[in-house]
Amino acid sequence: MSSRCRDRALVLAVAGVAGALTAACEREARDFLPPRPGAQVAPAASAPASAAAIALAAAMVGRYEHNAYAISAGKRLFAWYNCSGCHANGGGGSGPALMDDVWIYGGDAGTVYLTIANGRPNGMPAFAGRIPEDQLWQLAAYVRSLAGLASADAAPNRDDAFLTRTPESFADPAKPETVKPAVATGRPQ
Amino acid sequence: MNGVHDVLAPAGPQALALFHLWNAMLVACVVVFALTMAVLAVALWRAPRAGERTRPDLDAHPRREATLRRSVVWGIAGSSVLLVVLLFASFFADRALSALPLADAVHIDLVGHQFWWEAHYEPNSPERTFATANELHVPVGRPVLIRLRADDVIHSLWVPSLGGKKDLIPGRESTLALRADRAGTYRGQCAEFCGYQHAKMALVVVAEPPADYERWRAAQRAPAREPATAQERRGLALVEQTSCAMCHAIHGTRARARRAPDLTHVASRGWLGAGAVENTPELRAEWIARAQKFKPGVNMPPLDAAPDDLAAMSAYLGSLR
Amino acid sequence: MRALAAVAFAAAAQAAALAAPGDPGDWPMAAHDYASTRFSPLADITPANAATLRLAFTFSTGVVRGHEAAPLVVGNTMFIVTPYPNVVFALDLSQPGAPLRWRFEPKPEAFAQGVACCDVVNRGLAYEDGKVFLNTLDNQTIAIDAAHGKELWRFRAGDIRTGETRTMAPLVVKGRVLIGNSGGEYGVRGWLIALDAAKGKELWRAYSTGPDRDVLIGADYKPFYAKERGSDLGVRTWPADAWKVGGGTVWGWISYDPELDLVYYGTANPGPWNAEQRPGDNKFTSGLFARDLATGQARWFYQLSPHDEFDYDAVNENVLIDLAVAGKPRKVLVHPDRNGYVYVIDRASGEVVSATPFVQVNTSTGVDLATGELRYAPGKRQRTGTVVRDICPAAPGGKDWQPSAYSPRTQLLYLPHQNLCQDQETTQVGYIAGTPYVGATIQMKPGPGGHRGRVTAWDPAAAKARWTIDEDLPVWSGALATGGDLVFYGTMDGWFKAVDANSGRLVWQFKTGSGIVGQPISYRGPDGRQYVAVLSGVGGWAGAVVAGDLDTRDGSAAGGFASAMRDLKQRTTKGGMLYVFALP
Repeated sequence: MSSRCRDRALVLAVAGVAGALTAACEREARDFLPPRPGAQVAPAASAPASAAAIALAAAMVGRYEHNAYAISAGKRLFAWYNCSGCHANGGGGSGPALMDDVWIYGGDAGTVYLTIANGRPNGMPAFAGRIPEDQLWQLAAYVRSLAGLASADAAPNRDDAFLTRTPESFADPAKPETVKPAVATGRPQ
Repeated sequence: MNGVHDVLAPAGPQALALFHLWNAMLVACVVVFALTMAVLAVALWRAPRAGERTRPDLDAHPRREATLRRSVVWGIAGSSVLLVVLLFASFFADRALSALPLADAVHIDLVGHQFWWEAHYEPNSPERTFATANELHVPVGRPVLIRLRADDVIHSLWVPSLGGKKDLIPGRESTLALRADRAGTYRGQCAEFCGYQHAKMALVVVAEPPADYERWRAAQRAPAREPATAQERRGLALVEQTSCAMCHAIHGTRARARRAPDLTHVASRGWLGAGAVENTPELRAEWIARAQKFKPGVNMPPLDAAPDDLAAMSAYLGSLR
Repeated sequence: MRALAAVAFAAAAQAAALAAPGDPGDWPMAAHDYASTRFSPLADITPANAATLRLAFTFSTGVVRGHEAAPLVVGNTMFIVTPYPNVVFALDLSQPGAPLRWRFEPKPEAFAQGVACCDVVNRGLAYEDGKVFLNTLDNQTIAIDAAHGKELWRFRAGDIRTGETRTMAPLVVKGRVLIGNSGGEYGVRGWLIALDAAKGKELWRAYSTGPDRDVLIGADYKPFYAKERGSDLGVRTWPADAWKVGGGTVWGWISYDPELDLVYYGTANPGPWNAEQRPGDNKFTSGLFARDLATGQARWFYQLSPHDEFDYDAVNENVLIDLAVAGKPRKVLVHPDRNGYVYVIDRASGEVVSATPFVQVNTSTGVDLATGELRYAPGKRQRTGTVVRDICPAAPGGKDWQPSAYSPRTQLLYLPHQNLCQDQETTQVGYIAGTPYVGATIQMKPGPGGHRGRVTAWDPAAAKARWTIDEDLPVWSGALATGGDLVFYGTMDGWFKAVDANSGRLVWQFKTGSGIVGQPISYRGPDGRQYVAVLSGVGGWAGAVVAGDLDTRDGSAAGGFASAMRDLKQRTTKGGMLYVFALP
């Protein structure tokens, strides 16, 4: 290769590696040591979330959607706090489906956070004050990943538990559920 | 966490069997090592002294082939004998490990979590079962049959003074049988890398005389002590209404979750956080407020409570003996 | 158990003389009568003329969730109740088109919708002495003046914020309104309460778990089997204080025997579904109680599914008939259970006369009649962290709440039911008040044969099926048997069908607007003609994928039904309509 080609190749290689590393850094970053914004829970904080909290939440959830650790923590909390009891693995039950493209109150990060934090009148309990803010963000990021709205490389892949749906990282928001055709049974109706 | 944590100080038959095996291997290895070193020394001592330019005088050693063959034969024979001896030693150790009589065993269900140990005694008996975490008490001289499961990733249980390692694998069950023949406090450790705080996932096994064990067992089965002071009552209310009850259980109260260590008798345990901090009043309050400071990566979130509230919760939990 | 062969049944079985109070042309309670026969003696419509049945009138309820209720007809008025928001309509049957006489809107709290495990259903009203009794989803029982629709009294017990709701149809007997709660999937402690029909005051309350004084177990308690005897079993068969969140709710059917003065009902599954978290038999869940009507004191109890691992509630109907057993007439109840067996139980003593599987069962191998023990199959036991596959029957059981009908003419019990198996993963679960307390993820699938539903004509004397009809979808509607020897039922894709009660031959069907999960009834109109009525509007646990707009790409949605009902959205849509048919 000519010297100029070689130099260009070298620059591209370094840039590529650096880019991959920083992206991976963001995806894998884990930040445990306080002070960490929103890490605390104040007992008996039952006031509805303020506009500033919602704005912060929208920003943090947006960041968490690119962080694999945060989304997987959200997945763990989704089971721990019995969210899956009402919402299954995104298909819904006594609570609505979270993996489709229908959002009763809105599917943007701030609104999903608000739904989890303050609850909703048709039966969604409020979790603000009972769990720390950053767990609310992690849950919101996971809920968005159920619908395929989080980064595909940060969303959880196939896990070891009982598989009931395609993994979150394969969820495609542009392809919601299609109604299945009737199964021909040959039985007279 | 204080406790005997020494493979070379076996306190029960399982550890003893492994200790004998270890000794057999040590002796074998020492013998082999000594012989090898001796042979090497002899070879160095008897090596012909020659200058650099002197060609070796092969004609002067007519029987070198025989010597070589003899050395090889002796080497192979010796190694084989040793291997067979070790094989038998291993076989007998295995038999000894599985021959522990299990009559009247204490049954414990142990579930490994990141990064703590969940224990249920007598899990099949509604009238005898109770839950605890990170600290097991066992009666001296009675076998303990532990059913091992994992909740998230692979862990491994290792109490060196009482027995060998056994993995806890999600989706599978395995069992480990132990017996402590001497009273004492024995430290255990998670022995399979399981995440950030794998190093701080300790377990303590307290072997005590049967009468003391029965007393401990009866105390553990009792529901949580009622709060006695106003501060403790406030602490209980906070524990039930805030994030604690989302993960912890305290029998007799409204806290009934199951994702974190059972706190019904938390004050009876010497350590918190699977050996992360000592269970003293100051450290307990600090642990409640900032567990991440002692054990970053643990699943317990920090708690931002007013100092009075934190003191109340710490006082209440400190009363749960 | 098939040891039934040892017991010789005579062919003559008589229906208990437990005729419904009042006019035989009425349908005064959801089960038609206290024996729960769901049999209308009206015989105008027969297999010979049923093909000419046509729509007489319709009524839109305005609600589009699962309509599981049975309409009531008393005199000239029909009373209907809708799913949440539990509106009650009174229709004037004496006018053409059955116009609305009044409507009553209880306005239950919207938050209750979030803690209804299996769609926001209501299984029906009750009526006595000019009063209509309504249960609302948010834990209220309301008495309404039947003539004008005015509220008379309101009784409240239970908190939706702990997951408690009320969905069952009350039963009114001699001035006592019997009600039970729902919420076993939320760790709600079950009870049966008797209210004074005049003022709505609580007369007695019998819990399903806890100490004897709460369960109303006292000197009168004489269970047949040794395993049900002991003191405070509602505490001692649970670890620690697990009985406080132990389930055993009473969301199903209640029967009453006026001669023995006993009330019969079943308790639901224990909570959580993860049975490893509650070692012990978990009394008094998944079993049948016989209680004294006046005091509520238990006379006997039989636990059908001790330490239940499969969500086999025992809340299904108990049909009270007289059966000849070994040549002697015996007062029995016939109970088709979730666990897949049809039980014939002596209703005076609680002794199991026979227990015969009516579907494929691999979770157990039979019932030991000597001890009453259900012998569980070791291969299907649940373990936390493991997946067990091909469990039959699935959690909705061989048959769920959808009630059967008994014809004293054919002496057959007509069971609308399903044919489903499932895979289940059991997981650790923590109790957090107001959230589901389950600990199991399931995915259902069709059972052997591939058909998901079936109607079985069961002969309780011979303990076997006389005929069956396979349906593609689970048959989640109730059954109706008539004096004209017809059986009516509805399918989940909206077909309302009449079949010959003796042969099962289809004689008539009509495609309604939405899947049918309600209970059909028959009554004599003011014009003297026989009418058949049913509510159409898909939902319930089996229909939740449509009623709740759920996503079937997650097979565990709708409590595991999604994987078995992926085609339901193509087969039916939501609705809420009363259909009434008559001969031309």
